[in-house]
Amino acid sequence: MPNEIDAQLARLFSELPEADAEVSDRALARTLDALPTPRPASRQPARTLAILCAAALVLLALAAGALAAAGALHVSFGASSQQQKTATTSQLSLPPGARGIAAVVDGRLWLTTNNGFRLQGLPVTAAALSPHALYVAAGIGHSLVAMAPNGRRAWSHPTAGAVTTIGWAPDGLRIAYVVADGSGFRLYVIEGNGRRDELIDRAVRPVQPSWRADSLAVAYVAAGGRPVVYDLGHRSRHVISFPSARDATRLAFAPSGGALAVSTQHGFLLTGAGARANGGTFAPSLVAGLGWLDGQIALAINPAYAGDQGPFIQLFRLDRGEATPMGQLIPPAAIKALDAYGGRLTVAVSDRSGIRVFASSPAATVKKAQLPQSPTVLQLAPPARVDSLAVR
Amino acid sequence: MGERSDRDLVRRARRGDRDAAAALFRRYWQSAWRVAFAVTGRRAVADDVAADAFERAFAALDRFDERRPFSPWLHRIVTNRALDLLRSERRLAASDPPEPVDLRPDHEYGDRSLLAAVAELSLERRIVVILRYGVGMTPQQIASTLDLPVGTVNSRLARSLEQLRSSFEVHDAKRD
Repeated sequence: MPNEIDAQLARLFSELPEADAEVSDRALARTLDALPTPRPASRQPARTLAILCAAALVLLALAAGALAAAGALHVSFGASSQQQKTATTSQLSLPPGARGIAAVVDGRLWLTTNNGFRLQGLPVTAAALSPHALYVAAGIGHSLVAMAPNGRRAWSHPTAGAVTTIGWAPDGLRIAYVVADGSGFRLYVIEGNGRRDELIDRAVRPVQPSWRADSLAVAYVAAGGRPVVYDLGHRSRHVISFPSARDATRLAFAPSGGALAVSTQHGFLLTGAGARANGGTFAPSLVAGLGWLDGQIALAINPAYAGDQGPFIQLFRLDRGEATPMGQLIPPAAIKALDAYGGRLTVAVSDRSGIRVFASSPAATVKKAQLPQSPTVLQLAPPARVDSLAVR
Repeated sequence: MGERSDRDLVRRARRGDRDAAAALFRRYWQSAWRVAFAVTGRRAVADDVAADAFERAFAALDRFDERRPFSPWLHRIVTNRALDLLRSERRLAASDPPEPVDLRPDHEYGDRSLLAAVAELSLERRIVVILRYGVGMTPQQIASTLDLPVGTVNSRLARSLEQLRSSFEVHDAKRD
């Protein structure tokens, strides 16, 4: 009987009607009109040229830095001071298995992709990689700018203020971003080609939006500190109102399904797709990163008080809707940022010598272990603020 | 000369080759339209959904990872557009019910009772059935298209077939 239904279904769909010729012709015309137009270098918009010039200047500065390191040239950063500081920078290299990595450190973007796209130290207010690292969207001045390898295509969208954080949808077709408008923060969603910008919420917190795996909903933190899931199909908002969800600091939808991990100033919780509002409390502590490592949740924690346990990454397994603690990974220094990709973690740590970024393999079965480290992919000194870290 | 691969056509279309883009369009337009029709059940809506999905997909061609197969990516966009629309309609349904499903007489296409039974499946199950039998995707491809575990796809397929078989038994009993 199942085979009979199989055959009937196959026959049914093969006998469905086709689109009318006139409709098809109109759709073809629309499709061809929508094709990205390759832009010759001489026609690049002024802003794109400005970006490329800025990137070139940064590259020149870095070349000078390299010469300085080799003793061929002395370079100082910032105003001259009595105390000479030595700045160390390394080129950003790709972590194992990654297609691209973007780190924003002290307001400067470091970017490398496996198709040759590289930026080093470009001043930005925020940045995020598209799926598969084919594009980067960045806040530059009062604009949201998309850049692609070799300047193949770039657009710029003016914003009401500085872009503070950005999140690409998993299908690459939309970008959610938060803008500081002077009195607060607003959440917008724009299509991946820079068109159809839409204001989603006038009062949010500058927390990176997270997209559901189907790209039809985006989670953000409202001005009051509650996580909100905005459904783009229904144009409806669902406020996560559990008491433990107040003061949300980070959001991460699962890479498949609809579970949403939320870190707060007090701990974290899991909600959506049958998940219950539980998780754990890590007070007093600071959550420095939140990500999904295959089916596990990775929560990076820097305890706040001296004498507490040192920094650690707590792994949780999603088990019948509940987050079950799996084990802890111990990083070599305080965690500044964390992202997960392809079954690995990428971590930025900071100590007195500076910032170091490396990747790891997950150690899902360990109860407590040193975080396995890849070779360093970025080294910066002196210590600095890590605004974001994204790996695809 | 053999038929060009999707990958080759995508590369050419990205460089602005309209012939390559048109070839891609012709290769997938009818199957994508059928997906839109099977999901929404209305020709006019399928026209809009499919055209809009193609416009968005080709505008976003720069962001398509050409190491991945083109068809699941495109069908995912079509499916998402159709779901977007149906969910919007559900939201409005209380005050403004959508027009009825456009089911034509049996002789025009297929078995009307089976189509009606498919239309009665929940949206989640219907999508999986359409991608499996309408587009010919494997469960793995459907899982990749919908961002679901393969086990969930297999389970939805099995339950859908069970529901369709039950509907048919009821239908046959009534006919007897």
